[in-house]
Amino acid sequence: MCTGRLDPAIVAKAFKKGLDGLLVVGCYFGDCHYISGNYQAQAKIEMTRRLFEHIGVNPQRLAFKQCSSGEAAVFVEIVNTFDATIRELGPLGGDGDAVRNPALSEKLATAEAVLAGEKMRWVIGKKTPFTTSGNMYGEIFTEHEFNRAIDMIIVEETEVQEILGQLRQKALSVAELAGSLAIPPARIFRYVTALKRKGFVALEGISGRSPKYKLISQEVS
Amino acid sequence: MVYEKQGRYIIPFDDVPADRAPMPEISVDERRNNFVEIETGFPEETAIREAKRCLSCRRCLGCALCWAECKPEAIDFSLPDETLELAFDEVVLTCGQDNAFCDPDPELGFGRYADVLTDLQFERMLSPTGPTDGLALSPLDGRIPAHVAIVQDGRSAEDPGLPASLILGVNMAQLCSAQTRDVKVTLISPLSDEFKARYESQIRQITGLTLIEGTPLSVGRENDSDPLNVAYTSRSDEKVTIAADLVVILTRPDTAAYLRDLARQLDTAPPAF
Amino acid sequence: METKEVLVVGGGPEGVRAALEKAQAGVRVTLVERFPALGAARIPRDRIVAPDACFVNPELEEARVHPNIRILAYSEIQKVRRENGKIQTRILKRSLRVDNDKCTDCKACIQVCPVNMLDDFDEGLGFRTAVDYFNPQTAEFNIFKEDMPVCQQACPVHLDIRGYVGRIADGRHLESLALIRERLPIPGSIGRICPHPCESACNRQYLDAPISICFLKRFVADVEIAREITPAYKTASQKFPEKIAIIGAGPAGLTCAHDLARLGYENITIYESLPVPGGYLWVGIPEYRLPKKLLQREVDLICEMGIEIRYNTRIGEDISFEELQKSNDAVFIGAGCHRGLKLRIPGEDDFEGVVDCVTFLREQALGTRKSGTGKLIVIGGGNAAIDSARVGWRMGFDEVYLVYRRTRREMPANSWEVDAAEHEGVVLQYLAAPVEILGKNGAVSGVKCIQMKLGKPDASGRRRPIPVKGSEYVIDAQTVVPAISQTANLEFLGKSTEFRLTRWNTFEVDPDTGATNIEGVFAGGDVVSGPDIAIRAVAGGKRGAAGIHTYLRSR
Repeated sequence: MCTGRLDPAIVAKAFKKGLDGLLVVGCYFGDCHYISGNYQAQAKIEMTRRLFEHIGVNPQRLAFKQCSSGEAAVFVEIVNTFDATIRELGPLGGDGDAVRNPALSEKLATAEAVLAGEKMRWVIGKKTPFTTSGNMYGEIFTEHEFNRAIDMIIVEETEVQEILGQLRQKALSVAELAGSLAIPPARIFRYVTALKRKGFVALEGISGRSPKYKLISQEVS
Repeated sequence: MVYEKQGRYIIPFDDVPADRAPMPEISVDERRNNFVEIETGFPEETAIREAKRCLSCRRCLGCALCWAECKPEAIDFSLPDETLELAFDEVVLTCGQDNAFCDPDPELGFGRYADVLTDLQFERMLSPTGPTDGLALSPLDGRIPAHVAIVQDGRSAEDPGLPASLILGVNMAQLCSAQTRDVKVTLISPLSDEFKARYESQIRQITGLTLIEGTPLSVGRENDSDPLNVAYTSRSDEKVTIAADLVVILTRPDTAAYLRDLARQLDTAPPAF
Repeated sequence: METKEVLVVGGGPEGVRAALEKAQAGVRVTLVERFPALGAARIPRDRIVAPDACFVNPELEEARVHPNIRILAYSEIQKVRRENGKIQTRILKRSLRVDNDKCTDCKACIQVCPVNMLDDFDEGLGFRTAVDYFNPQTAEFNIFKEDMPVCQQACPVHLDIRGYVGRIADGRHLESLALIRERLPIPGSIGRICPHPCESACNRQYLDAPISICFLKRFVADVEIAREITPAYKTASQKFPEKIAIIGAGPAGLTCAHDLARLGYENITIYESLPVPGGYLWVGIPEYRLPKKLLQREVDLICEMGIEIRYNTRIGEDISFEELQKSNDAVFIGAGCHRGLKLRIPGEDDFEGVVDCVTFLREQALGTRKSGTGKLIVIGGGNAAIDSARVGWRMGFDEVYLVYRRTRREMPANSWEVDAAEHEGVVLQYLAAPVEILGKNGAVSGVKCIQMKLGKPDASGRRRPIPVKGSEYVIDAQTVVPAISQTANLEFLGKSTEFRLTRWNTFEVDPDTGATNIEGVFAGGDVVSGPDIAIRAVAGGKRGAAGIHTYLRSR
C-alpha cells in the first residue's frame, strides 16, 4: 500500500488500542509511483504528530522515514533507531507522555474523532496545492502558515469533539462540561452557542439556573 | 477594506504565551564618543523563533470544503466584486450597523470580565434570533443570572443622550424578565427631574425591575467564583455595593471613523445615533 | 424631469427608515451598507414598550422588496466628491461568494467550515464560521475573506508581512527578502528605523506581545549582506523613453525612481541638493541607528537599475523649476521637510550657539560639526529631539538636557528611543517650556524656562500645557537645539506659484495618484504629508510612480 493512503484516524485508533509507537517508512521524494503519495504521507504524519503533541502523546511515538527497497542497511538503521526511541519512552501513557492513562485513552478517542472528521481530512489534503499553486484566492501558503491553519483546526476541533463526546452520553450544562473537560466555562459557552447555530446541539431544558444541551442526531447523507 | 468589529484571534494556540525576542544591543559604555550601530541584529535562531510566533492571521482559508458540501451549488468563489460609479442628488448619512461606542470607564470592568456586557451585546442576547435565542445567560459560565445590574456609563443627569439610553435599559429589563425565569434586574443611573416626572411611576410598576438613582463607580470581583460587586454612589452621596451575576453597561454611542471621514468629504455633519 | 437619486449610507434601522421614507416619496434610493446584510430589528429607544413589541421591524422586509430601493450590501464607498450640484461616488460592491437565490439554508457549509471567528452581528458574543449568514433574519450567506491581514493593512505600503515572516519561519530568508522588495526597495534601512505601525496592529498583542515584524525585515536584509550576495533589481523588458525628473533622493524619491525603472522607464534623473543620497535617512537619522554604508548600498542597488542621481544640484538655484518641467515629461517632487521651525522666543536669533535640529543633525552627518563641549539643551519631545540629544551625547557634550513642555506620556517620540536616551544619560526635563534664550558676548549662556502644568485636552487629544506663573528658572547652556517641528522649504519652486498648497505649506495632491494641480507634476512624502515616518514617504513615492505611469501611458 502507498504510505499516502494511510488514514490518520486509523493511526489514532491503533494508539487508542495500546500501540506504543508507529513508524511509517515510505519511498524517497521523486520516487513515488503515484507522484505525490509520499508527500501526502509526510503531511498526514506531521499533522498527526502535531495533534498528538496537543493532546499529550509524545510525538516521537510516530515517525515518517524514507528509504528505497534496495537499502536494507538503511532500513535496519531506521528501525533500530525507532525501536530504541520507543523503548526509551516506555509504554504509552506512562512517563514518556505528557498525559497519563487512563485520561490519555479518552484523549485518543477524541483524536480519532478529529482525524476522522471532514475538516482535517480535507484541509490536510490541500497541503500540496496550498503551498504550491495556492488556495481558492491564489494565495500560496508558507509551511508555517499552513501549520498555523492546521494548529487552529487541531485546537478547536479537539475541544469541539470533546464536548460532542460528552454530550453523546447525556445532556449537560456548560458548567458540567467545563468541570469534566478542563476547558474554561466561558470558552465552552462560546462553543455551545456555535454548535447550536450549526445545528449540532439544542437546548434540552433548564435545570435550576443551568440550561442543558443535548446532541441532535445528524442525518447521514 | 472588509470591516470587522471583533477583529481578534482568540485561539489558545499551544505556543501562547511565548516571549517576544529582544533586540541585542551594544552596552552604553561602548557608545560614548562614537556612532557605532547600537542594535546588532537577531541571530538566525532568534529570528526563526520570533517568526514562528506569527499567527498567520487569516479568516477564510480558501479550502473550498463548503463548496464541496453545498448540494445546491450556491457557493461560487468566482462571483466577482463590482465597482459602480454612481451620481446622486442627495446623501443621507446614518450610523449603519457599526454600533460604535465610546470606551466605557475602565472601572466598569468591560473587557476584563466575561460577564460584563455592553447594552448592544445584551440586546443581541435578548433577541429571539440571537446567540442564546433570547435567554439571558452569563457568558462566563452559561448560567441564568439571578441578578442583572444595568449600569449607566459616564453620563450625568443632564446628558441629552440619557433618556434614550435609560429607555433602552428599561425595555431590556422588561424583556429579560419576560423571557428568563426568576431574574431580578437593577438599573443604576443618574436621573433627571424631567425623566422622573415623565417615566418614573410607569417604571416603578414593572415587576422585577428596581430603578436606583445613582452613579455607577466600579464593577469587580475578588475571587473567580464570586458574583460581581457593583459599587455606586447613591443619591445621598453614600457608596453602596450590591452583588450581580451579570452586568450590562449602557454605553455612549460614537460615530465610526469612516462615517466621520465621509461627512468631512461631503462637508456635512457626521450622523449621531 | 429626471427622478431624484438619493444615497442612503448605513443599513441599520435608521437607514432603512430613511430609505423607505424617500422611496415612498417617489425618489430612487440606493442604500449602502458595509456589512453583508441589512440590520436587525432593534429594541426601541424612544418609548417604553411591552416585551413582545421589541424586535419588531416590518420596515426591513418592506425595504428589501421596494421597487424604488436598490440595496448595496457588503459595499464600501471608496470615493465621494461634490461636482456640479451632484454627488459623484465610486462604490465597491463586494462579492458575497454565495448565490443566495440557490442557497436552501441547509447549513451544510457552516457545519464543515474549519474557521471560527467572532460574530460581528452578535457583537462578538458567539462564533460564526468563515462561510455563514450575517443577519439571521435575512439569512443571506456570505464567505468572509479579509482583504489582507491587520498588519499588512496597517503598513502604509501594505507589505505582505504574513508572507515574509512565514518564509523566515520556514528558513527561506532570501525568498523572504525578495518578497519584501516587491514593494519596498530599501528593506535594510526601513527594517532599522521604522516605528512599525504593523506591530501596533498585530493580533498577537492580545495574547502576549506583537511579533517583532520590523527587526525580522532587518534580519533578512542582513542575511544577504552576510552571505555577500549582490542582488540585481529587475526592470521590465518593455522600455519607455519618457524623461522623468525626481526632486530629492530621499525615501519618496528613491522609491518613485525604483518603481518607475522597474516598470521600464529608462530616463530617470534624481536631483539632490545634498552631496549624499537618502535625504532625511542620511542627514536626519543618526548613524548609530542607520549606518550610512548600509544606506549607500541600498541606494546603489536602486541606481544600478539605470537611474542617475545628480548630487549638489539645487532646483531653483542650479536649474530652475520651469526648466526642469520643460525638459521632462513628468516631475516628481519628494523634497521632504528640511527646515526646522523656530521657537519664536526672545534671544533666539541674537546669539551664536542656537541651531535648529535639522541643521544640527545634518552638519553632524556630513562631518562639518564633529564635536561639542559644555552643556547642550535640546527643546522638544519628538523623535528629532531625541535623536539630537543622543547625537549630542555622542559628540562629547559634557551634559545633555532635553526640555519638553508636557510629560513623558504625551511625548510623540517612540517610547523605546526615549528609554535609550535616558539610559545613555540624557537628562529629561518634563513640564518645562523655554521663554527666552540668554547670552553673553554674542554667545548663548542659557535658557530661561517656565514650569508648566497640564490642563484640559486640546484638539490633538493631548492635555494642553499651561505655564505656572512666577516659576521661571534658568538652565545654563552653551548650545541650544530647538527641535519642535519641521516644515517644507518650497523656495525651489521660484516663480511657479500656481501650485495648490495646504495651510501647512505642503502640496495638495490627488489621493489616488499623487498628482498636483499642475499637469505632469506629482508629489509625495513629507512634502505632501508634513513631517512623517519614512515608510509613509515610501508609500508616497509608490503612489507617485503609479500615477506618473498612468499619466504617461494615457497621454
